[in-house]
Amino acid sequence: MNVAEFRAGLQAWLAGHDLTPGPDHSLDGQVAQVARVRRALYDAGWMRYGWPAEVGGLGGPAVFRAVLGEEVTTRDLAEPGIYSMVEVLAPTMISYARPPLAHEMVPMLLSGREQWCQGFSEPGSGSDLASLSTRAVPRGDAWVVTGQKVWTSLAQYASRCVLLTRTAPGHDGITALFVDMDTPGISVRPLRTMHGVDEFAEVFFDDVIVPGDRMLGRPGDGWRLAMDLLPYERSTCFWHRIAYLYTRLDRLLAEAAFPLGADTAEADLGAAYLALHVARCRSLATQRRLNEGARLGPETSIDKVLLAAAEQRLYDTVRDLLPGVLELTESPWRAEYLYSRAATIYGGTAEIQRNIIARRLLDLGRE
Amino acid sequence: MDAAERELLAETFRKTMTASSGCALDAALTELGWTELLAELPDVAIPMTFRLLGETGAQAPLINDVLLNAAGRSLGGTLPLPYAGGSWVVWDRSAGPRPKASTALDGDLPLLPVPAGAAVPLAAGRRALGWWLVGTGRAMLSLARLHALDRVQFGRQIASFQAVRHRLAETLVTLEGAEAALLAAEDDLGSLLAKAAAGQAALTRHCQQVLGGIGFTAEHDLHRHVRRALVLDGLLGSALELTREAGRLLREQRRTPRLVHL
Repeated sequence: MNVAEFRAGLQAWLAGHDLTPGPDHSLDGQVAQVARVRRALYDAGWMRYGWPAEVGGLGGPAVFRAVLGEEVTTRDLAEPGIYSMVEVLAPTMISYARPPLAHEMVPMLLSGREQWCQGFSEPGSGSDLASLSTRAVPRGDAWVVTGQKVWTSLAQYASRCVLLTRTAPGHDGITALFVDMDTPGISVRPLRTMHGVDEFAEVFFDDVIVPGDRMLGRPGDGWRLAMDLLPYERSTCFWHRIAYLYTRLDRLLAEAAFPLGADTAEADLGAAYLALHVARCRSLATQRRLNEGARLGPETSIDKVLLAAAEQRLYDTVRDLLPGVLELTESPWRAEYLYSRAATIYGGTAEIQRNIIARRLLDLGRE
Repeated sequence: MDAAERELLAETFRKTMTASSGCALDAALTELGWTELLAELPDVAIPMTFRLLGETGAQAPLINDVLLNAAGRSLGGTLPLPYAGGSWVVWDRSAGPRPKASTALDGDLPLLPVPAGAAVPLAAGRRALGWWLVGTGRAMLSLARLHALDRVQFGRQIASFQAVRHRLAETLVTLEGAEAALLAAEDDLGSLLAKAAAGQAALTRHCQQVLGGIGFTAEHDLHRHVRRALVLDGLLGSALELTREAGRLLREQRRTPRLVHL
């Protein structure tokens, strides 16, 4: 099956299976809807393509997953950020978990039976992730974890957590664990965001016992694991998000009344479209390289800067061309606009991306 | 043509462009088979040649050939080219003394105003100029990068300052984005967007800012590239005009074209 056949089959299936979200647009509703969509797509096989058989997949190239996410987000079937989380979590498990653990767990994620989270950032370790201090101490065959994570997306819904812990000093002293969120000693406190959604949480670990066979990789592999997952986030997830942003530009075109005159509107719309188009072209090239087996690295920081800038420009244009709408009405544009302000912050700030580009791509030496 | 042959040819073209410019380069490239290459393999000839013009800082009237080739006409002549603001120019390629001096901001480019011209096939020309602008942008980035590594202030290379690093990083981001758009450009709209992106990328002021005072002098090479980028941006439509044209299309169609697909 090639990409065109996959897409055609998927489109035909989606035409015959109504997965339209219900009226509940709360976060609870969105998480439930993502689970429903994943479950249906998994049961029908679509969600299993592009993943290896060892984790319940049906094989085929990873680009199938990009196509699937594009079709899902283009139809507004699922919130793209939540939907795309598997693209980061599942590859991490495939690369680092013991094969029996990956075999047992990944299908639970892909099929929507479980939601997982990623415990990376801490109150004292944001951009400087490698300074993290949540401690894991060996006790017998197990690890005992103590510390605090923050910005942990969907922690309150998660059954499991891919957790980075400190087991020794330095970058090589970070160890990744796969933790059941119902383990005694874990407490979750959701954080309210400015767009009114409890999207992420603080997670507290108080003498949490994690069995030794839940280690991902070996002791000290945590930093490498964190670096390895970035290219996944920046290939398939980005393709999904760009597809979603195109639907929002379509929506703006349908709703805008062009109050400031056609000329201004055209310049704004053109600039927003150009930025999105450039991000899409770059993401396409990245998808192709991934498909050819290339190992993605620091050059994906360019994709990240282009996408974040395009997203913010798009929503700036929304505000310009729909004056008063997000300020005075409870339109869905309001939350989306506010959320877009975070695009240059989450997943590595725009400044960190530029640091990486300067150091690794332009070879400018140390700061 | 395989990758090794392409590389060899690019090396030959680069050497030729380093050694000559203008009419002499036009003649030298013709000698090397530019016209045959363009006619037979335009998708190889255009990106390679025009990007190299930008990188080396050389110039030749090859945009005429690209448009003539796209129009199915014989190569080697000239034709009126639309310029920003509704003007028209001819990119002169006569070997002898010019009929009149060019008043272009980039004095090396023999662009002569003409009253008007006939419609020309724009897409291939815009892609060619897009590659040229990306090459020019890369040349400027390379100069600014070298300066940042050489120049010491406050006892440190200025490349060590984040304010400088981020300007150079942003320049690379826009150039890489434009290049991705050029590589993906096939139809009219894709070529229009790619040239707009390339124009924006080449016109960022970051490189000149990083070069400080020396980049403002006529003694440093930067100004040649700045002048070239400004003039090339207007040829076959400026980034501003093209962006607005894309916006007009969206407003009329009320739908966003998805031009590239997995």
